[in-house]
Amino acid sequence: MQKSLKVSLIAHLIIIIISSLSLSFLTGRVQAPLVISVDLVQIGERTNIPYAPKVSDGEKTDKKTKERLVTEQAPPKIVPKEKPDAVPMPENIKQIKEILEKRQNPVKVEDLTKQTSEFEKKEIFDPNKISALIDKSKKDNSESNRKVSLEATQSQQKNVVTSKLTITQEDAIKAQIFKCWNIPIGLPYNENLTVKIRIKLNPDGSLISSEILDQARMNTAGQTYYKILAESALRAVKLCNPLKVPSTDYERWKEMQLNFDAKEMLKG
Amino acid sequence: MIFFNNLNRVALVLVATLFLGACATQQQATTKGDDAYTGTETVKFLADGVPDRVFFSTNKSELTSAASATLAKQAAYLKANPTLNVVLEGHADERGTREYNLALGQKRATAAKDFLVSNGVAASRIKVISYGKEKPVNPASNALAWSQNRRSVTVKTN
Amino acid sequence: MKFKILKIFAFLLFLSTKSFAVVSVDITRGNLDPLPISVSDFYLDAKLNDNIKKLQLESKISEIIKNNLSRSGLFFPLEKKSFIQVPEAAHNKPRFEDWAFIKTQVLVTGKISLEKEGRLRVEFKLWDVVSATELSALAFYTTPDNWRRISHMISDKIYERLTGEKGYFDSRIIYVSETGPKVDRKKRLAVMDQDGYGVKYLTLGNELVLTPRFSPTSQHVTYMSYFKNLPRVYLLNIETGLQDLVGDFPGMTFAPRFSPDGKKIIMSFAQEGNSDIYTMDIKTRVVERLTDHPAIDTSPSYSPDSSYICFNSDRSGGQQIYTMRSDGTNVKRISFGEGLYGTPVWSPRGDLIAFTKLYKNKFYIGVMRSDGSGERLLTENFYQEAPSWSPNGRVLVFYRETPADNTGKGGGAKLWSIDLTGYNERLIQTPTDASDPSWSGLLSTK
Repeated sequence: MQKSLKVSLIAHLIIIIISSLSLSFLTGRVQAPLVISVDLVQIGERTNIPYAPKVSDGEKTDKKTKERLVTEQAPPKIVPKEKPDAVPMPENIKQIKEILEKRQNPVKVEDLTKQTSEFEKKEIFDPNKISALIDKSKKDNSESNRKVSLEATQSQQKNVVTSKLTITQEDAIKAQIFKCWNIPIGLPYNENLTVKIRIKLNPDGSLISSEILDQARMNTAGQTYYKILAESALRAVKLCNPLKVPSTDYERWKEMQLNFDAKEMLKG
Repeated sequence: MIFFNNLNRVALVLVATLFLGACATQQQATTKGDDAYTGTETVKFLADGVPDRVFFSTNKSELTSAASATLAKQAAYLKANPTLNVVLEGHADERGTREYNLALGQKRATAAKDFLVSNGVAASRIKVISYGKEKPVNPASNALAWSQNRRSVTVKTN
Repeated sequence: MKFKILKIFAFLLFLSTKSFAVVSVDITRGNLDPLPISVSDFYLDAKLNDNIKKLQLESKISEIIKNNLSRSGLFFPLEKKSFIQVPEAAHNKPRFEDWAFIKTQVLVTGKISLEKEGRLRVEFKLWDVVSATELSALAFYTTPDNWRRISHMISDKIYERLTGEKGYFDSRIIYVSETGPKVDRKKRLAVMDQDGYGVKYLTLGNELVLTPRFSPTSQHVTYMSYFKNLPRVYLLNIETGLQDLVGDFPGMTFAPRFSPDGKKIIMSFAQEGNSDIYTMDIKTRVVERLTDHPAIDTSPSYSPDSSYICFNSDRSGGQQIYTMRSDGTNVKRISFGEGLYGTPVWSPRGDLIAFTKLYKNKFYIGVMRSDGSGERLLTENFYQEAPSWSPNGRVLVFYRETPADNTGKGGGAKLWSIDLTGYNERLIQTPTDASDPSWSGLLSTK
């Protein structure tokens, strides 16, 4: 009786040891990039400005001067928008009624963004269009179909066999973006909101350009959530500039497509 | 061998704890089902020997046997004093949501009223009001206070 | 033959491929930290008169905006003293690199000026510091004493632009102010801005008042009062102060709430000790009985499209949550977890029901889907109940009671808010103890 118990105990122990060993082997593979990612961040600090905007950056200064032009040259026209009346508290009634006699509304709102001149729209800057700020040169329309379901709006893009980074390389990139990306917490988790951003990199990992692939959807009515996700993704890419990149295989990663999908995070 | 002995001991302790655990839960269950206050600390008297209030178990509006005995005395007293009118104030403890407690207080006071009526007191002499958990008699936050607050109080109106 | 076809396929594949393929990386993780935001002081137009200047709106407005955004849990406002650029320059031409340097991602700037007839013009701009773009810009006109509301409206615009959902800052909370000892509490109706400012008392405290609820237009309040020692549901017009008894019921009416169109009041009526759910049309006074069950039925709340009602009933033995069609048919129990469930309130988005749960002597505020699935408990405490939704369905306000000691001292109720993630729990400061909060809708509907 005792003997058989012992035997089964030993057998169980062996199984537990084996499984824990194999498990640690498995998790070891998964964990490896995490360790590396910590390394990468430490190295990243060497490049003393982890933040994207640099005055010396050509693209950036350009934008900035444009920005200034907007405010200096063309003060936006004003079209007052009617605002419905407030619910006044008893004590406020008299006062607000006085106002009402003079003017219909205690608070009026005017939208300054929507009123820009033709000149501005064409030449300089439309605040609602981030596209204006992005390198427009679309050299390549190829698209990965890896894991990502294609959306109708992107049907014009062709499916290609995607060259792959090693898992370690890919996870290193992910780990960096993870830190830079503030997911807008208010987004719904039950909508298909994948934002695809094409980035081009210099050999040192600095950003040449970033471009939202489904640009049209940005300004489609009813796609506010997509727009907000896209804006946050674009910020993440810029905050992560320069990316810590592998020292070899530049050809392979000089252009990357980042598919931002917050669904899992928002669900959890 | 030593290891195995230890294992035996552990098993024993485990079994013992399980038993104790079972006892504990059983005890809790009995108090939970019937935790009406049985003391006399907050009780006042309508007349000599006629207590003014009855107590209820948590979330219950059924009369306990002690409550029925008290209400029987009240019924006799009210019948002996036919010009007297009363209002029954139903209350709940603070361990329930406000709106549910209003309904519960109403149900408790009505249970008391129904007893009085079935014992010969004219329904027209009795009014019912619920205060839910708004008027505790004992403001403390402990089981004793809560049991004293789950009550229906008979108050003379004239 | 087979080989040939393969070759053709390979060729086609080659054609569709451009010179090189692009590496694709799925980013499915990010951080859920609140967004770093900088709210610069607004700058005052030089032409402003001293009366306006001494109000110090330039810092007060930005302070309100900052507090609102911070309390939402979605934003992390940076300290003003770290700002490099002065308000005027920041508003006219922000140096994005200066703002990026302090690690802010978005920036709020503004300007206050005076228009004719003494009206105030408050203008704000919202900037994406990282992408170096202007995200939105608006100007508000009002009398100077309305500056608080302007601050809340600006907060709403910022919230909306950065989250994609409506804000909730330009709203009010009505509640019951509590003073005095626990055995003899004085209760008054009070209303305040959502952030706890501007408290005003609506009743004097001569009689017990409970459970006030705003109408959808926030012009009326329905509540329960013990006026003349008759516990009944009343209707109060906030603007005129006029009060009105709701219906002529021969017994206690309680637990009132408005229908989403504001035309009916749904409530409990206790007849012969038994509470059932009724509605009354405010204009026609037509009363309709919805439930008829010997158990307690109370705490009714309409779904936002008016087609369903959730309510509290103990017909199964203990307090549980049920739903039914708004005509009283199709009654279904939806809460099946361990413990007792009360105070169901349908979210303004329609997908969730908030509730109070009592389990193992602890009270929880939680949410579940309207079919009862996906129960999520947000906060646990000694005692708390009565959740009420923010207008955008993102935050709940409720009241929490601390226990009294054995001599009956020390217990008290306060208002708290918590967002749907459950991470961001905040006390709402009130001058007195407070309970039974009810959130209004957005005061400005555009």
